[in-house]
Amino acid sequence: MANETEQQDFLAASEAAVRDAELRRKLENASGRHLEHVAATRAEFPAYDDERAAARRIKQEAIERLDELLVQLKERLEANGCRVFAASDAAEARNYIVELARGRGARRVVKGKSMTTEEIGLNAALIDAGCEVVETDLGEYIVQLRGERPSHIITPAIHLSKEDIGSLFHEKFQIPYTAEPEALTAVARERLRETFLAADLGITGVNFAIAETGTLVLIENEGNGRMSSTLPETFVAVMGIEKVIPKMADLSHFLEVLARTATGQKLTTYTNFVSGPRREGEIDGPREVHVVMLDNGRSRMLADPVLREALYCLRCGACLNVCPVYRRIGGHAYGSTYPGPIGSIVSPSLFGGATAQLPFASTLCGACREICPVKIDIPRILLHLRWKETEGGGALPVPRWPRAARQARFGLRAFARIARHPLAVRVIGRIGAVLMRPFAWHGYVRRMPPPFSNWTRARDFPVPRMHKRLARARRGAGA
Amino acid sequence: MSQFDKLIASVRGALEHRGAPAHDGAEASPAMPPSEASRRVELVSSFGRELEVVGGRFLGMLTPKETAARIAEVAASIKARTASLGDGVSNDPAPIAAGLESLGIKVIRTAAAGDPEARAAILRELARCDLGVAEAACAIAATGTLAIVATAARPSSLTLLPPVNIVIVSAERVVADLAAALAMLGTETIASHRVALVTGPSRTADIEKRIVLGVHGPRELYVAIVWRADD
Repeated sequence: MANETEQQDFLAASEAAVRDAELRRKLENASGRHLEHVAATRAEFPAYDDERAAARRIKQEAIERLDELLVQLKERLEANGCRVFAASDAAEARNYIVELARGRGARRVVKGKSMTTEEIGLNAALIDAGCEVVETDLGEYIVQLRGERPSHIITPAIHLSKEDIGSLFHEKFQIPYTAEPEALTAVARERLRETFLAADLGITGVNFAIAETGTLVLIENEGNGRMSSTLPETFVAVMGIEKVIPKMADLSHFLEVLARTATGQKLTTYTNFVSGPRREGEIDGPREVHVVMLDNGRSRMLADPVLREALYCLRCGACLNVCPVYRRIGGHAYGSTYPGPIGSIVSPSLFGGATAQLPFASTLCGACREICPVKIDIPRILLHLRWKETEGGGALPVPRWPRAARQARFGLRAFARIARHPLAVRVIGRIGAVLMRPFAWHGYVRRMPPPFSNWTRARDFPVPRMHKRLARARRGAGA
Repeated sequence: MSQFDKLIASVRGALEHRGAPAHDGAEASPAMPPSEASRRVELVSSFGRELEVVGGRFLGMLTPKETAARIAEVAASIKARTASLGDGVSNDPAPIAAGLESLGIKVIRTAAAGDPEARAAILRELARCDLGVAEAACAIAATGTLAIVATAARPSSLTLLPPVNIVIVSAERVVADLAAALAMLGTETIASHRVALVTGPSRTADIEKRIVLGVHGPRELYVAIVWRADD
């Protein structure tokens, strides 16, 4: 299986992130006002719930008829003059695009904001093939200059302060230091404008693909997607197969909920419709449009009736913004292109390997389900994936931890028995508290010897002590 | 029957008439259905409000003559030296071009390009222009959105490359919401043209979620609604 995400241990990475006070400050700074804004925009739109229900219904229908819709989409795209390539995995998609770049002699590549091309590790492949690849979404441009990966689906540089970005531009471009977002944006505009005009190949993702007409819909605020799909002579759109929707008339339901949930806007600045290459005499648009339909684990998700729902995702990023785990540790600790709650349910199928731990990186609080514009039941899917992981009954090619699972089950059964007897709880609890005390350090128990080490691996306990009021109450009752 | 009883009887009699439901004050029911004109005014004012919310500037509802004059004013205020102008949708661009030229502004009328070299040259020219003037196919009142439908002589780049845009829309092409706009454009048109829905100037919130205008697309967007006198 293709694996483009650097594999890392989530526990170690998240522990480091939790202790990074600076990172937490940046994340809180960015997300606090944002959530209020999103809530207000939704509240002032009375049809929100109806539109949301409609969006979910259409996605559900589209996923159930995915085979048919993809056939129709391919026919229409080809009738419009596009070329369609079906990639079963990341390597096939990369190779197709690299070969295309070679064939067209394209050396200068501009990219609009796209998570799908991140997913397949396209940049590295194009750079290896001798292309110069420039990310043109401001956030992506910044993380590319830093040699990093995006830490959020829609705001890739959310882990950086304006001072970080000021220093970065100062060093990379030899310009006087400024931390003013307006000035920094102006610098990027100027540099990227020339890049756009000189580019041979433009690459973007796809938000919606309309089967009825063979139309690709690209949604964005900056104009990077519009530039990438308008200026270069060759344009490649990389779409996950789940992006197809049946009809043009379906689109408004999605657009009415997507920006409201993602950024708190009523509509994003640009909604671009691309149905094919430019026609005779036209100035805008490429001579060639290629559409790469990417499976890369998605049909595996489709085959699982519970996990199937994860394919409804519009990649709005809202579940990241509300997630108590994401808000503490940021995106990088997840070690996946797709962080946060949605990342935890899609990454194991897309990437395998260490991402199989991600379904455990949740408190199951349900905030993600509440905010989701298509109401994906993420907690249910998380539990399902945990079950598959520990029971080993699933089709996911991931490493299993049978010993840890056995121990956990034994421990929980023992707890269930003890919990039936109040006296046993008190006695064993006291003994446990006394036994834990020697392991305490700075008020917390962070490590315990086996078999309890599995429990403390991801949990820090406050030093156990009898609650004073509780103790007094008991003394009172005894007297 | 006393005077008082008479009065009460009269009041009771009046209350018997329960033809129309009681007015709860929540929704004013007008004595007459709103006229086409007042409905249009409402849509246009909603459009203007929403456009300003997303950082655009609303120039108001103008006659064609006023439109040309107002566009020239804006061009002068931004000290434009070159402007590009595309074909109209339902308005004649000639008076606009004349208005700009009278100020000494060089006006580039976009036209079809034959070969890739000519195309690249036009794109570079558009990118160097101080101002792009275009007409939208329709506008959305609920969101302050413009629907730009590109043709050979009305390129989409006109509303993408210049740093300042002035867009005009005919008043009868302002519709209530997104669904109505997609219906007005028509599935066929969308599937056979490059279409962009534009809601305000290009923007980003990528640096600490602070909103900055003018990343890749225009920094400033002015919109005038054209109302013909004979309407």
